[in-house]
Amino acid sequence: MTGLGAVLDDIVEDIDSILLFTQDDGTFERFDDEETEITVVATENAVDAEQFVSLPLQFNDLDGRIRYGIEGAMDAELISEGDEVVCLTTFIDSGAIDTIIRVRADQFSHTGLYDLFVNSRADSEVVRDVFEVAIELGKKGQKGKPVGALFVVGDAGKVMNKSRPLSYNPFEKSHVHVGDPIVNVMLKEFSRLDGAFVISDGGKIVSAYRYLEPAAEGVDIPKGLGARHMAAGAITRDTNATAIVLSESDGMVRAFKAGELILELDPEEY
Amino acid sequence: MQSDLADLVERLFSEEAAFTVAVLVLFTGAVLAYVIWRWIHSVFERTGINDAIEGTAFERSANRFGTSTSGIVATLLGLFVYALAIVAAFNVARILDPELFWAQLTRNLPRILIAVLAVIVGLIAGDKAKIVIQERLRSVKLPEASILGDLAKYSIFYIAALIALAQLGIATTALLVLLAAYAFGIVFLVAIAAKDFLAAGAAGIYLLLVEPYTIGDEVRIDEKRGIVQEIDMFVTRIETDGEEYIIPNQQVFRSGIIRIRS
Repeated sequence: MTGLGAVLDDIVEDIDSILLFTQDDGTFERFDDEETEITVVATENAVDAEQFVSLPLQFNDLDGRIRYGIEGAMDAELISEGDEVVCLTTFIDSGAIDTIIRVRADQFSHTGLYDLFVNSRADSEVVRDVFEVAIELGKKGQKGKPVGALFVVGDAGKVMNKSRPLSYNPFEKSHVHVGDPIVNVMLKEFSRLDGAFVISDGGKIVSAYRYLEPAAEGVDIPKGLGARHMAAGAITRDTNATAIVLSESDGMVRAFKAGELILELDPEEY
Repeated sequence: MQSDLADLVERLFSEEAAFTVAVLVLFTGAVLAYVIWRWIHSVFERTGINDAIEGTAFERSANRFGTSTSGIVATLLGLFVYALAIVAAFNVARILDPELFWAQLTRNLPRILIAVLAVIVGLIAGDKAKIVIQERLRSVKLPEASILGDLAKYSIFYIAALIALAQLGIATTALLVLLAAYAFGIVFLVAIAAKDFLAAGAAGIYLLLVEPYTIGDEVRIDEKRGIVQEIDMFVTRIETDGEEYIIPNQQVFRSGIIRIRS
């Protein structure tokens, strides 16, 4: 037992900050007398913590969650580069803290995961809503069959100018926003159509059925991904948009920004 | 004893003064009730009863009605005091003849009930309005914004009190005039402040319904040329390389739109 205690002591020795991934009051209160700075990272600030980073999704993979927490805390200057940070989080879906991870804040290469949500052109809620729609679509598919979809979010004016319609735009003169309850159903139906969905900064669905025509030379995406991902990568390099792709072949949700693959999620985990 | 009091008043002053005293008693009762109401609230808060009863069934059902246990207790006690004041006032004004008094009471009971109801509804509605407004304004981190909630709350209290007083047959003309002036002031100020918003909103409705231009079109409005990025009720966002114009919709409407087709 002493060996275990010593290892744990080593892990929490000389740390500069604690990232606490919880929404539970009781867990937070246990840190009342803690002298080290504590930043709470959760989907909402249920414990009224002074230092708080908001998670846009309940990241189920640890890597994404911690990456987001650290990048978010660094962006809000709650921690600085080179800080030794201990992350307390839940790995197995039990609700209680079961994992301690010690990292240096600059140990992660900056992937822009936090920027994807917060510093995108589109509102962060819009990006989050589109993610949710994509995840939902990935889980259920269309009539049980897997579907693919491509959402281009933000900078819609420029995206529209760099694309052309494949057919009549079903969203013309409609004022549907992602996040409206009807949208999931509509997008599910329209996901049968080929082409991309274009969504504006404010969340209005501008068009479906768009054929994207960006210059794709030099876009470097992982091998094995198809034309849909290539188009997504290319359009985000040419514009300030964010692209969220649901892959038809492997069912993964991927996000692109500035031509790079930023995030990969498995819808089944959510 | 109460008729003694009435006698005393009548002996000291005139019969008309008795009525004034009655009103005074009523008013004092109202103030006292309010003080007690506040006091109960603070006692509940200080002694930690509020925390202790949090989550109880009664508290939860009280919460569902937009109040709390302390609120109900305080309101009941306040009402009790107010009722006492009313009885005292009636006694002072009606003087003597308890039978007449009780006859009056039965006749006036429905009105009193309505008045009490108005007060209760007013208290709940006022508090509720304040909470709703504060929730809405939570994202606005501006201390001045919290005054809106209080303003709404006390406006509702005022109206409720007015209804209650009118029900009790107390002359409320002066208060009514005050209310009218207040309402007019608010409407006037809001109309001045929101003039541009109204114009932009009206133009925005047209633009959204008819969509003479849409996201992705290249347009020129007042020498501002660019690609439309977003249209909402109040503004249109037009963007060129490095510059984003946010144009109020009424300006779009007034100066017209040039769509550029190349």
